[in-house]
Amino acid sequence: MIRRLPAWARSPMAVITLAVTAWFSLAFLVLPNLQLLAEVFLADGGLSTRAWGRLLGSERAMSSLRNSVLLALTLSVTVNVVGVFVVLATRYFALRGRRILWLGYATSLIYGGIVMVAGYDFVYGSSGILTRLLTTVLPFVPEDWFVGYPAVVFVMTFASTGNHLLFLNASMARIDQQTVESARQMGASQWTVLRRVVLPTLLPTIFAVTVLTFLGGLGALAVPEVLGGRDFQTIAPMMLTFANTPSSRDLAAALAIILALFTIAMLLILNRLERGGTYFSVAKVSTQLTPQKIGNPVANAVMHVIAYALLVVYVLPPALIVLFSFTDARSISTGTLRADSFTLENYATALLEPTARWPFVVSISYSAVAALVVILGLLFVVRLVTRFPRSRMSTIVEYVLHIPWVMPGTMMVLGLLLLFSTPQGVVGGRVLSGTVGILAVAYVVGKIPFTFRLLKAAFLGINRNVEEAASLLGASQLYTFRRVILPLVLPTAAAITALNFNSMLDDYDTAVFLAHPFYQPLGIFIRNATSGETNADASALVFVYSVILMVIATITLWLIYGGGAARILRLLSPRRARRRSGDALPLDPADQA
Amino acid sequence: MITRRSLLASVPAVAGLGALAACTPPQSGSGDGDSETLTIYSNSVSDGRGEWLQEKAAEAGFTLQFVDLGGGDIQNRLLAEAANPIADVVFGLNNVYFEKLRAAEVLEAYSPSWSGEVDASLGDGEQFWPIVREPIMLITNDEVFPGGEGAPADWPELWTVPEFEGRYEVPTALGGATTQMVLSGILARFRDDAGEHGISADGWAQIGEFFAKGSPAVEGTDLFARMAEGEVDMGQMWLAGKFSREEEYGITTTAISPEIGVPYAVQHVAKVAGTKNAEAAEAFIDWFGGAELQAAWSNEFFTAPTNEVALQDADQDAVELTDSFTPQDIDWTFVAENLDGWIEKIELDVLG
Repeated sequence: MIRRLPAWARSPMAVITLAVTAWFSLAFLVLPNLQLLAEVFLADGGLSTRAWGRLLGSERAMSSLRNSVLLALTLSVTVNVVGVFVVLATRYFALRGRRILWLGYATSLIYGGIVMVAGYDFVYGSSGILTRLLTTVLPFVPEDWFVGYPAVVFVMTFASTGNHLLFLNASMARIDQQTVESARQMGASQWTVLRRVVLPTLLPTIFAVTVLTFLGGLGALAVPEVLGGRDFQTIAPMMLTFANTPSSRDLAAALAIILALFTIAMLLILNRLERGGTYFSVAKVSTQLTPQKIGNPVANAVMHVIAYALLVVYVLPPALIVLFSFTDARSISTGTLRADSFTLENYATALLEPTARWPFVVSISYSAVAALVVILGLLFVVRLVTRFPRSRMSTIVEYVLHIPWVMPGTMMVLGLLLLFSTPQGVVGGRVLSGTVGILAVAYVVGKIPFTFRLLKAAFLGINRNVEEAASLLGASQLYTFRRVILPLVLPTAAAITALNFNSMLDDYDTAVFLAHPFYQPLGIFIRNATSGETNADASALVFVYSVILMVIATITLWLIYGGGAARILRLLSPRRARRRSGDALPLDPADQA
Repeated sequence: MITRRSLLASVPAVAGLGALAACTPPQSGSGDGDSETLTIYSNSVSDGRGEWLQEKAAEAGFTLQFVDLGGGDIQNRLLAEAANPIADVVFGLNNVYFEKLRAAEVLEAYSPSWSGEVDASLGDGEQFWPIVREPIMLITNDEVFPGGEGAPADWPELWTVPEFEGRYEVPTALGGATTQMVLSGILARFRDDAGEHGISADGWAQIGEFFAKGSPAVEGTDLFARMAEGEVDMGQMWLAGKFSREEEYGITTTAISPEIGVPYAVQHVAKVAGTKNAEAAEAFIDWFGGAELQAAWSNEFFTAPTNEVALQDADQDAVELTDSFTPQDIDWTFVAENLDGWIEKIELDVLG
């Protein structure tokens, strides 16, 4: 009898995890989306196929779709090239000023969206610093040279390398110094070591961040909208319009299904590649990697020049954003500074308003709760999936958890709202709309795919021998998980938590439909203060809020990722500090990973 | 290395932030039951209008909580919440949105105490009632067209007169209320019940020209910023927006006044069907649309009230300027039925 059961069904931990996952997925991933799809496609008692004809007949829709796919494919290459380079420059090679380089590259983690585009515009736009330089030296260069496909790829490439910086760094930490050294002693060149020893270890994480990059390209909104020009518009803005128009939602859903097919194809390819390899270092007792000196002086010089050139590319836009946040709307829109442009008025408006603090509290609470719930839950789920990699159960769980990636955010949120406006048996007959909880649920749901993907990569990087050894020594499943596996994936888990937390702070798309009237988060507050439909032109306020968010994001990264929380605790309890002063945390963020 | 210790250490930090959340929101009133607080959905409470209204309402005995979103978002949220409404009152949206809400049976009929003081035909005379009206205009930069001289006399000249090609801003995102008003004002001239979405083939050709010959709006850059830079010379704007932006950018503009008239955005107020505070909601509507408050609102925020009794105490400049335009004769029920189809067609087939 027992033999007929699949392996996972014999582990109590697996069965419990699976039961909870199944219930959550059914209630919050599957049913709401089915509800919405039924609503948009089942018109007048039959299946409506209107959307497909409308889309195929539209030249604009088809070319936008082509552009989105092209952008996703291009970014999958360019982001990996730049991303791997910045990780090598800050973590693998012994370059001068690695810490400064890391901090500079990390600026891409703390801002995004329309303000990021504005930052690049200050450098490359028609009145940008570089453009003025170029047009003076080379008069034939047109003022609006920075437009279209190359411009979009350029900006999005540098904007998307943050995942590399965090997650590739984490897997780089698992590379064994002794393996690298013995390869060198056996005569392998630095290049061969890099190609044959270092890069293969990084592959699962590279696959995971490639999926993220690909999806980021497919869903690109702000950058192509501003920099794409007439010839390079993408599909996301159109989808957004359709998702917000009740009678056109079938078009948004149809587009989502098309994008889902591309995403699934990408996942299938990467899952196939992922299954083929061994990704952990084979050393029995591993030693931490020390930065490698580059032997060839020419290569060394070239590395330094490229690394510092990239630093300038990364740092200029956010630096200008901070600078311009102290100026008025006119200076921002023209990109010019005069002595009288500077003002503190914007900051006063944003910070001194009596009601201004509450949205911060609400957003920070929601983000913290959702980020913790999603990481705690998925640690168990990913453990389940990676323990039984070849079972059909794992495949199903994996694909179901990717649903939030393929549905446009607006539609998923509407699905939740529509479903839970009436009592639902799956949540004990309760009505969830109008409660404080439904927004937290939506946040958790939205962060599942990203968290799952990166955690899975981290679990795949664990040497299975470790687990076997624990098991042979008599450790229970839960004990092995808690004391052996968990410490190994913790760096990645912490980085994911920090990123999830930051990304939810200024959310608007989810909150707009689900926020409780008394607990409205920051995103809604910011949008109200800065939208184009207000009477005063508030584009300067957008910058101020972005800088405030950049500060919060930096603090979060420092607390969770840079060991800041531990340092604060040590300061607060001097006795413990003395006892543990021997194992103080290193301060160099490049060494944190 | 990130150690377990450092991660565990961050838990109290986060928990501390969570503890902050335990304090009560600033506007939740007494806290024992929300029935005392009215939840109001509106797109007209930004720029300090909400805070002002909250204060005045408190004096009159109302506790208000706003959900401040764009017109389209409010409509979508109300539609999705129909089975379990959270809002008590909705105000600020224009006819198009209210017509759609009425068709979806989201609103409940209520005749305010001031219903005799307004032109009921501006609304539907049953569920939603007018409070403020505002012209949606084509404005031109005075530096290029001093006092409007040489400027187009009506929207169609933009794409039929070669000099204006590329000099006027056209919207790229079609979800905004002002944009939809402008499109309605142009398309409604070409009504043809046999045509696609009720518009003649010529109408579709004209709107195609409008977009093809305009300069697409730049996300994140205001029309006035582009006019100040000389990138474009004209574009769409609403009355109050024109004045605040002229000050901000130090340029002056003139609104053109076509013979056919301009679309008026009329803001309305209505009670949400299924509200748990029906009595308070009705009392609020009576107070909010009444002459006294509407006159005060006008003086504070430069609007033209629809309440005729409020007119004498209202901001006379705002009223005069609003009255200086002819209202374009637009069948808003027809627009509300077709607008979504228009937007879809423009997105798919018209934009280049």
